[in-house]
Formats: sequence, C-alpha cells, structure tokens
Amino acid sequence: MVALVSEPFWQQGDLIAMSNGMPDVPRLRLPHPVAGSGTAAMIALAAKLTPRIIAVLRGEQPADNEPVGAPST
Amino acid sequence: MSTLTAVDEADALEQLHRLGCTDGLPVVIPTPERVARCVLATGADPTTSLGVMGPLSALTTIERVATNAVMAGCDPDHMPIVVATLRALLRPEYDLSEAQSTTHSTAPLIVVSGPLASACGIAGGFGALGPGHRANATIGRAVRLCLINIGGARPGASDMALLGQPGKFTMCITENSAESPWEPCSVAAGFDPFESVVTVIGVEGPHSVVFVDDADDPDSALRLLRVLARAIANPGSNNAFMRTGSVAVAINPDHAAVLARAGLGRADVQRELHRLATNLRGDLRELNPAFAGSGDAGDELHALPSPDHVLVLVAGGGGLYSTVFPSWSAGAHLNPILHERIEADQACEVPASG
Repeated sequence: MVALVSEPFWQQGDLIAMSNGMPDVPRLRLPHPVAGSGTAAMIALAAKLTPRIIAVLRGEQPADNEPVGAPST
Repeated sequence: MSTLTAVDEADALEQLHRLGCTDGLPVVIPTPERVARCVLATGADPTTSLGVMGPLSALTTIERVATNAVMAGCDPDHMPIVVATLRALLRPEYDLSEAQSTTHSTAPLIVVSGPLASACGIAGGFGALGPGHRANATIGRAVRLCLINIGGARPGASDMALLGQPGKFTMCITENSAESPWEPCSVAAGFDPFESVVTVIGVEGPHSVVFVDDADDPDSALRLLRVLARAIANPGSNNAFMRTGSVAVAINPDHAAVLARAGLGRADVQRELHRLATNLRGDLRELNPAFAGSGDAGDELHALPSPDHVLVLVAGGGGLYSTVFPSWSAGAHLNPILHERIEADQACEVPASG
C-alpha cells in the first residue's frame, strides 16, 4: 500500500496513519492542488509519480514519510 | 488520565491554552472535584467508554467527557445530554472520523427534545442559536471540546475544514414547542413525548431565509415552501451537487403558522420541501461540471434523496426569518439525521459544590 498525500494534508496523514495503527504505512508527497489542475498537469504528475509508487511498492525506494509514534488511547 | 499541576487557575488556563486543549476561549479549570461532580451526574463509572472517537481513535470515557464538560462550563445536570449527543456522534452512521477530517465546514447541530430540554433551560425561542443561553452554549461547547481533546480534531492538522464556521464552537437548541403547531421532531421520529431525545445532524452554518406572509394570498404557504426549497437547493451547497445528505430547516413560529393554516403537517412540509428543492442539470453543469454528471440539461435533480432527509424544526422567535442548514452530504453514510434517547434514569443528584 502507498498513500498519496498532498502537501497541506501531510500532518493529517501522519495522524490518520498513527491512529489507524499503521504509523509506517508508506506515504508519498503530492503538490497541492491536484484536483482542478487540468488534464495535462494531472497526466504529467501521474507520469512522474507512477514509477515512484511502483518502486516504493517493490521496496526499491523509501517513501517520503518518517515513522510516527503509536496512538494514545 | 494525566493530571496537570499549576500554581493557580490563571496558570492552569494558560497551560490548557498552550496544550491546545481549549477552543480558544477561556475554560473552567477541570479540577478533580469538578470533574467528579460531572461524572457523578451520569451515574456511570468514570472508566466507562462510550466508544472510540476518531480521528485519534481514543476511548471516550465518562471521565474524559466530564473533564471537557467542566471546561465548557456545563452544569452537572447537562451531562446526560452531552453523553447522549456523543453516543449519537459515535454511531457508525455519523462517520465522525471523516466529518472531523473533511475540508467542509460540517459541525453537529444538536436538537434536544422532551422534558430535559426545559429542565436544563435549553432555549428554543428568540436568539436560541446565538449567545446568552448557558445550556445551549455549554452543551454544544462540551461536545466540541470532546471532539478536540478526545477525537483530536485540531485545525489545520487533523480538522481540515478550510475556513470552519462559528457553529464549530457550539450549536445546540431545542424546538419552540410552546409556539409550534406540530408535535416535537422526536415524536415525529417515533419517540414517546415524555422521552428526552437528542437529534443530531452535521450541517453548515445557518442560512437565513426571508419570507413575508400574506394572509389574503391562498398561495402564501406555497411561496414560503418555495423560498425554503431554493435555500436548500442553493447551487453552492453540497446537497445541490451531490444530491445526497440531509438538511435541517428551522421554521420560525410565524412561518410554521402559515404552513399549518394551509393544512400542512410536519410530514407534508418534508414532502413538499423535497419535491421543490431541485435544480436543472444544465444549470449545475454551467457552474460545476465535475459534479453535474452525464444526462440531459433539462433533467430536474432533487437536492435531497427523500422527504425523510429533511429535519423540520420549529425554532426561534416569530418573524420574517426562518433558517436552512445545508450539509456536507458525504461520508460513507451520507450525512444522516440521527436520534438518541437521553438516559437520565441512571443520573445521580449531585450535591452543591462546597
């Protein structure tokens, strides 16, 4: 699994990963905004990102995130 | 639960602000004695959990709820209402983790019905949603502080509402039963009139709807319904584009009288508002093509899935203005209206504080 998280939501991504018991889930950082950026920009972003997603899934590259702490319940 | 130490209450308040445990306003310091009184008012063990609250996935224990209720300024008598509201919000149908995390401004509108509403002094008349009513202000605030401190909803970090809205501080009312031509909304939902019930729906901020009655006009009630329906289907709302979710409509007693004069009951009003709250697909497509879907430009699209998705309330003072609360319309369960019985029979009488 790889989670795609746009820049303003990075901290939220950490919290969600932590609170769902998956602090180490790989996360890749996206620019913001993606929605509404236009077809060409989205295709370019996908072309740039897809090899990284595959490499992270294969364990050949690290994701962008550091592990975060366990939740406090 | 961790305990803070402070040299005095002013120091404690500064610590709570610094730790992000407040809503930005001063709070009552939750000393062990004050918290114990609110726990006692529930009749429950302090470790009893109402459920896991997201997005932080933390246990919603009675002691934690009581701590936040004290901070909000609640009287112990308010505790059963705060607890019932949280039970409603923690039901899977509310999709609380998603509602706390969304970029939309959704916040829980809390409507209290039945004997406890008047016993606790919850206002339903003039300015009920505004300042000046302790029970309204503090019950809603207690819920919000729980969402912040238990659920972990902090702006820009986990609560991603782009702008937020004032209803995220507090949004609690009762109906103006004394001036309503209809049964309470809880009775319409199947509860006994003598039961106290909390009704919860996630909503945007209130939208004012002006309407002037004309008793000589036989179509006056229809005009009122049409203007309310326009506000429901306003093409800036999620309801208009997603065509899901629910809305709350707080009809002021004068406007309710117009509808009652035309022979309409609460269910009739729900049916008519659903029928009239529409947009043409072509109009939506011009504004937000991504949400308009495929189909004919002349398709008439309902903003709501059914009449049951309209929460009709009679609230406020009598006059020209009623209020529509559009909604987020998202989450796995699509923003439903939820009712929860208030369990007051286990509550204990709390002795006066020393």
